[in-house]
Amino acid sequence: MTGVHYAYPDADHEVLTGVDLSVDAGQVVGIVGASGAGKTTLAKSIAGFIPHSEGGELTGSVVVDGLKVADATLAQVVSRVGLVTQNPFNQISGAKYTVREEIAFGLENLGVPRDEMSERVDAVGTRLGIRELFERSPYALSGGQMQLVAIASMMIMAPRVLVMDEPTSQLDPSGSRLVFDIVNGLADDGTAVVIFEHKLELLREHADVLHVLADGVIARSGSAREVLADPRTDEWGVGSTRFTRAARRAIEQKLLPATTALPVSLEDAKAVFSK
Amino acid sequence: MSTLYLDRPSPIHRLNPITKLIGVLAIILLVFALPYWWAPLAILVLVVVPAALLARVGGRLLLVGGAILVPLLLVVAIGQGFFNTRGETILFSIGSFDFALEGVLFAAAVGGRTAVLVTAAMLLLLTTHPGKLLSALSQNGMPPKMAYVISSTLQMLPAFRTRADSIILAQRSRGLKTRGNPIRRFAVLIPLLSPLILGVFVDVDERSTAMEARAFASTGPRTALEIVKDPVGEKVARWVVMLLAVGALVVSFMGLYPEMSWPL
Amino acid sequence: MSMDIAVDGLVFTYPSGVTALGGITVSVPAGQRLAIVGQNGAGKTTLVRHFNGIFQPTEGTVRIGDWDTKGRDIAELAARVGYVFQNPDEQLFARSIRDEVGFGPKNLGVPADEIEARVTAALARSGLVGMEDTHPYHLSLSERKRVALASVLAMETPIVVLDEPTTGQDARGVALIGEVVAELAAEGRTVVAITHDMDFCAENFDRVLVMADGRVIADGTPAEAFSRLDALEDAHVEPPQLERLRTELGWAEPVMSVDEFVGQLKTRA
Repeated sequence: MTGVHYAYPDADHEVLTGVDLSVDAGQVVGIVGASGAGKTTLAKSIAGFIPHSEGGELTGSVVVDGLKVADATLAQVVSRVGLVTQNPFNQISGAKYTVREEIAFGLENLGVPRDEMSERVDAVGTRLGIRELFERSPYALSGGQMQLVAIASMMIMAPRVLVMDEPTSQLDPSGSRLVFDIVNGLADDGTAVVIFEHKLELLREHADVLHVLADGVIARSGSAREVLADPRTDEWGVGSTRFTRAARRAIEQKLLPATTALPVSLEDAKAVFSK
Repeated sequence: MSTLYLDRPSPIHRLNPITKLIGVLAIILLVFALPYWWAPLAILVLVVVPAALLARVGGRLLLVGGAILVPLLLVVAIGQGFFNTRGETILFSIGSFDFALEGVLFAAAVGGRTAVLVTAAMLLLLTTHPGKLLSALSQNGMPPKMAYVISSTLQMLPAFRTRADSIILAQRSRGLKTRGNPIRRFAVLIPLLSPLILGVFVDVDERSTAMEARAFASTGPRTALEIVKDPVGEKVARWVVMLLAVGALVVSFMGLYPEMSWPL
Repeated sequence: MSMDIAVDGLVFTYPSGVTALGGITVSVPAGQRLAIVGQNGAGKTTLVRHFNGIFQPTEGTVRIGDWDTKGRDIAELAARVGYVFQNPDEQLFARSIRDEVGFGPKNLGVPADEIEARVTAALARSGLVGMEDTHPYHLSLSERKRVALASVLAMETPIVVLDEPTTGQDARGVALIGEVVAELAAEGRTVVAITHDMDFCAENFDRVLVMADGRVIADGTPAEAFSRLDALEDAHVEPPQLERLRTELGWAEPVMSVDEFVGQLKTRA
């Protein structure tokens, strides 16, 4: 993604004002930012829905897996990029009456042979630990279960790039960890994963690179630990973990040396404070 | 789920939904083709009731069918009794209104047909999961978009209802009084309907993105994870039943049925 | 009169026969900041929906001050209990934030000139200064949630219930809601919040109820509740970040805030 500007149709201001972003195969990239910073817009631009379905004017260039999004059809983009959107309820197709068929829906549309489809559904179900839900109606699930089904439904399509917009919003701590573990597994298999999330502790543990989206541009990039040590995190609306806050306060009160690398996760903090 | 479907282990449930659908169509054709007042009754007793009992949904059929049919038939019978223009045999009079036998018999004939129609259709819905019906239809050539619109509407209605309930609760929690005179009731519509309608727009937008992401717009051939079983025997039976019903209709159009008492 | 909440032997069974609350006795004195935590389906929402009459007890009683909620309409209880729903989009309807926030007070019969003052104050408190004329649908989700909050604050009820106030909020929004909770308590008003954010919970509340399977399985100050590891596990709840850290460090005293953590660090230095 280079120099991407975008404004919604009939809007008087740009949501993206010059985004440069690159994600490699096998990488997990986290993106954080304040509410209203344009995260959902950025997610849709990577996945081709902007500008293909939303309209509006996108300038700059978006290239995914060698495909120039502006010149491609949405179907071509969609075959390479998967998008898990925020609200799981609206990702359930409504066409299917069991979770098992719901997960297979995308493959049915692509005309994948039945035997292969069945194997892939079972594999994805096992990976996400939702096989006991297979015969339930997708609408009879809790928000968290629905979210896992939505992720499974996209994972099964084996996209080269997987974009996830707050995929753990309805999950408890163990469910969220499971999703992040799976994301790392996908990356190990060569998928590029872009994950919009504000659970900073999980991003520190699972993302290879972290970007901050603020005012329509990438304001800061680096490892999660570098980025989240930046004093501007509050200004960007990204916030900080209590580990970081405690270390900052301790440095102010000269309880820790000023050169201490600020901790983000429990592991970091343990190392910093056990001295 | 707001469907009528009752899950029971029965041979009727196991039939291919298309077979059941054709069966219902054939019954409808038959009751309109056969010009005898007793024909609907015969079909009801010989086909619909045994099928319902075999499917173990007789009780529910009586309950749901009765709730629709009883008031309907009463209205027709009373209306026809008093106002049928062929009324000659007067049974009794209320003031200047005469209640005629011809009207009642006409009502019975119409009512019999309606009863068969309603109970047969109900039996289909009681014994067929809507998902299976739609899978069977799309596996028999129904366009996927059409199947999608029907099934998603069916599935989304309960969710829509839940949301409407939440909105009412949220507004009442802000002191909105929903009881009272008609003017007040009208005034409360905006805070109730406006979030509901805006919500639907948002849903449709988000859902269309999610569907496209799952290749729903794909134009190539599709496959199905679950194939609805369609044995040869059922295929043959469908043709036979349909031919019989169409035959009965043709005979009716040609006016070849023997006259019997109370033809219509 | 003191607006205590008194829940006594509360059992709630849905018409389907599912028992959502299996006998709860809890009293919440006026001015307390109470957080309720637990997994989805634990009965948190069902419990708080008894406070404003959305649900009526199957058994037991719920009293708000001198009112028994039994037989009282939601709209009547709205004068005492303000309830901010989780999803703002299930309530926002007006064309301007002024009308939206003024809706509750208007329903309660507050005079027009006072409504205007209340709207301004509620917006200021919710971080939406001067946005009276904006259309709610032009806002981000976190702002819409704060409009929903303001619309209940403007009702100036002695008790305020918040259902998942921090979901969809960024760091700034969470901090702001923490301030609102503190201000309400300082005015002697009761705040009851359902939350999944344990750090928010530890820092901003006097008392925590841990719920699982329709029962209260732990009840105490945040420090007490978060040291009940058995209960937390049953409720699928993780202790707050600093509490996990001090456990890892082997410190004996519970830690509920950055201040407490640094305070303990100092005594060890």
